[in-house]
Amino acid sequence: MEAENHVLESIPAYALNSMGQEDRLQVQEHLRLCASCRAELDAYQRVVEELAYAIPRAIPPADLKHKILHSLPEKRVPVAQTQPASVWQRLWGRQRSFSPVWAFTSLFLVIILAASNLWLWQRVSKLEASSQAGFQVVALAGTDKAPQASGMLVISHDGDMGTLVVDSLPPLDDAHQYQIWLNRDGQRANGGVFSVSKDGYGALRILTNEPLIQFKTFGITIEPTGGSTEPTGDKVLAGSL
Amino acid sequence: MDYKKLDDVTIIGLIQQSQSDALAELYDRYGRLVFGLAFNAIRDQALAEEITQDVFMRVWDKASTYQKEKGKVITWLANIARYRTIDVLRYQKIRAEGHSSSWDELPFFDPPDSQNIEKDVELAHEAQRVRDALSSLPKEQQVALALAYFRGYTQEEVAAELGEPLGTIKTRIRLGMLKLRRILEE
Repeated sequence: MEAENHVLESIPAYALNSMGQEDRLQVQEHLRLCASCRAELDAYQRVVEELAYAIPRAIPPADLKHKILHSLPEKRVPVAQTQPASVWQRLWGRQRSFSPVWAFTSLFLVIILAASNLWLWQRVSKLEASSQAGFQVVALAGTDKAPQASGMLVISHDGDMGTLVVDSLPPLDDAHQYQIWLNRDGQRANGGVFSVSKDGYGALRILTNEPLIQFKTFGITIEPTGGSTEPTGDKVLAGSL
Repeated sequence: MDYKKLDDVTIIGLIQQSQSDALAELYDRYGRLVFGLAFNAIRDQALAEEITQDVFMRVWDKASTYQKEKGKVITWLANIARYRTIDVLRYQKIRAEGHSSSWDELPFFDPPDSQNIEKDVELAHEAQRVRDALSSLPKEQQVALALAYFRGYTQEEVAAELGEPLGTIKTRIRLGMLKLRRILEE
């Protein structure tokens, strides 16, 4: 179904990303429903892309290329060929090239971590035992757009608030962010936007007008920076309560 | 491998596979563009250098996010550079005074790069086409578009910067983009 009131006059500014947030969201909402305005947007986005050619060149300092190439991380796992390495695999990869001193240090750290984990588990068990209604945890699984990604939504014991943690999501360019959607009974609410580190890790505290516990399913999509009023991009993570 | 013979998309694919020589080739092709964009917007050699370094590090880290269906490598790279420059402008609170605010104020001299003549000729041809289109716009439309494109200003910010009514700026941007579209689609 196409919307009645087209936004043709606003599309050039929208393509140029020069609209204020409120106007931008209104245009975005219309674009979601209107194929003819989306076609107009495509045409103006091509104009913006062409402007890149008109950017004046300037000669950078002679040593800048050398500086960039020598500041690259030594190892980087090819994304297209293998699954991204886990934190442990990366740590192990680094350890193999380290000296025996590092090996002993690492072993010591592992023992400390194991001990602290045990202590933390004991604490968690005690907290769970003392709480009448504990935290609820929603596991989020990667879709075919981000099969290696995973996430967890922890909802407070009163069901009002939640914290989202994600891992192994592909980092996005500056024009895009991830956005979490909260769904129930055919209705959808915006849970907030977030970015991830270059390792794909990200976290977001979710604040909604309604108790989080009332939402039954959760999805994360790729949206323009600042978020959308409705999902417009690929869904990368999903899960249900 | 002779990287100079590879197209941009293949170069990005090789960067995804951690080939630093591919990043070096991409820098040879577009280092001047990224540095030029940052320097002309900020007029600070050290900051422009920092931005250029940051942009190519991002390319190294985020090459897998490039999607050829969504545009050419040059536009993807220019977008990364543009948003990074705008971030720095906003963070440093650098105002437009004394900086380029129109396309025709920019020094459209592209220093030749003898390392890649074919690519240079192709880029120079495309650049001239777009610059001709831009220079055909009335000056006030060029200024409004430049402030929005280079500095990331919203229409409201452009209006405040130029001391013009918002409606006037909206019209300038709309008419400028419309004319550019007509010329570039020919």
